Amino acid sequence: MAEVLRIENLNFSVYETLRQASAGKNVISKIFGNLFRFSTLSSRHILENINLSLNPGETLCIGGPSGQGKSLLLRLIAGLEKPDSGNFFYFGEYLPKEKHSALEIALRQVGLVLQNGALISNLTVRDNVALPLRYHRRGTEKEISEKVNMALDLMRVSSVATNFPHTLSAGMLKRVAIARSWVMDPKLLLLDEPTAGLDNYNRRNLLPLIDNMRSLFQTSIIIVTHDLRMADELDANLIFLHNKTLTEPHSFDYWLHSKEVFAVQLFRDLQKRDGLY
Amino acid sequence: MQDNKSTLSFIGKFFNWLGESFLKTTPGKLFSLFVQTILSFFSENRNLRTDFRNVVLQTFFTGVEIFPILFIVASLFGTVVIVETMSIMSKVGFANVIGNVLAVIIVRELGPIFTAFLIAGRSGSALATMLGNMQINSEIDALSSMGISPIRYLVMPSLLGGVVAVFIMSVCFCISSLGMGFLISKFFVMILGQAANVQLTWHYLFNSLVNALTYTDFIMMVIKPCVFAIIIVINACYQGLRVERDFRNLPKATSRSVIYSFLYIVIADALLSVFYIFQYMGELSKII
Repeated sequence: MAEVLRIENLNFSVYETLRQASAGKNVISKIFGNLFRFSTLSSRHILENINLSLNPGETLCIGGPSGQGKSLLLRLIAGLEKPDSGNFFYFGEYLPKEKHSALEIALRQVGLVLQNGALISNLTVRDNVALPLRYHRRGTEKEISEKVNMALDLMRVSSVATNFPHTLSAGMLKRVAIARSWVMDPKLLLLDEPTAGLDNYNRRNLLPLIDNMRSLFQTSIIIVTHDLRMADELDANLIFLHNKTLTEPHSFDYWLHSKEVFAVQLFRDLQKRDGLY
Repeated sequence: MQDNKSTLSFIGKFFNWLGESFLKTTPGKLFSLFVQTILSFFSENRNLRTDFRNVVLQTFFTGVEIFPILFIVASLFGTVVIVETMSIMSKVGFANVIGNVLAVIIVRELGPIFTAFLIAGRSGSALATMLGNMQINSEIDALSSMGISPIRYLVMPSLLGGVVAVFIMSVCFCISSLGMGFLISKFFVMILGQAANVQLTWHYLFNSLVNALTYTDFIMMVIKPCVFAIIIVINACYQGLRVERDFRNLPKATSRSVIYSFLYIVIADALLSVFYIFQYMGELSKII
């Protein structure tokens, strides 16, 4: 079976316009320099030469310090940003750069759960979950409602089905967002910080749900997280975004005992707690 | 794209350049959003039931909630126009053209323009704020990542609802400004005790108005609100969708959605009135 996702030589940089006053020696040239400011376009490389491949049913955690572009990588995979260069293969099929858009990639059964859940604020929880099914007309209203009930039960949010999103807690928002992605039967699910801001109890509840999804429905999952223990609990490979590029995927235990500087820094607390130092 | 371009002739390249540079300007972007919205109406995955619900909700939101304010503005403005025209026209001896003046001022110009301004101020700004907030909360991103086109799901129902609402509201404006205007000015005349001297009867007003209205006025009564509604909704959606996850842009987008709508509406109105000039020229040659 073909790989779920393959990325080759991905590069991405952001362009910023900097307005600079031209430097002048005398007063007149200073005034004119300030009147006619020169706009220069400066580019800043965020991701360089990213290679990634994901097998069916595999779970991958992407870690690393914040501000490195982990969420950006997920947005690139979901098609919300356009890469500068690089080849994307979804389920073995090459996606040309001009077709690299979120709508096109969503047709290939890729689901994305954003950091804040991003539920549509003027729809109830049930309508939010039913929205993609209704829009893409997946079955009759009865079938849709059955599927929605199943998703709400699976994510244990059926008690708040008639509430509006602003009345829910952060953990519930995330579970509803995962349910909304799940109803479309994604083959590849992208999760952005699913456990950020959750208390330990909710976190412990969420992980088995992700695990269920993987084992029952053979979903491949990419998780961007700061919560490195999740990789251990989900028995997933861990990959780091370091110096603008991705490291090799290795297990949690490998990184725990690794002598790489960034790994030592990230795992220091975990090692102390485990009494390894 | 690159291959197609290289085969173009010099003139073709010029027009290609012209078109591309037009699409980079703000009116060009508005035009492209409009075309995309129209095309999205014919896209394959449309669900008429959900669409109809969205359109009705949008119509209610745009139109019905603004009705009380619109009614008061229309009535008082109708009164002002009728009273002022009566007083001026009787002085200069053109009392028999009051119907024409009312037709021109209220039915042709004030009705559509005032309605469009009121709706731009209320619904345009609300729409821009809503879309801007959705952009900031990444709800637009979430929609796209579910394969739901934001233009199809958000802009298209707003456009349809806006067109229906602005049309109905401008008809309401005309009717209430003429009807209530007549009643209120009659009331003023009665209070001042000049009922015997001032010839203000409904029969007279209505007849002269009906005589003054031409079939072009009725066509314009449909075209103008539609054009204004398209301008309001497309401009508001464009400004809202342009916010790009930055809170600082939200107030700017809201104010732009109102101010630029006013500007484009007046420009469109001026362009549409060119039609009347042509009509006048045609009649002029007939008279001569």
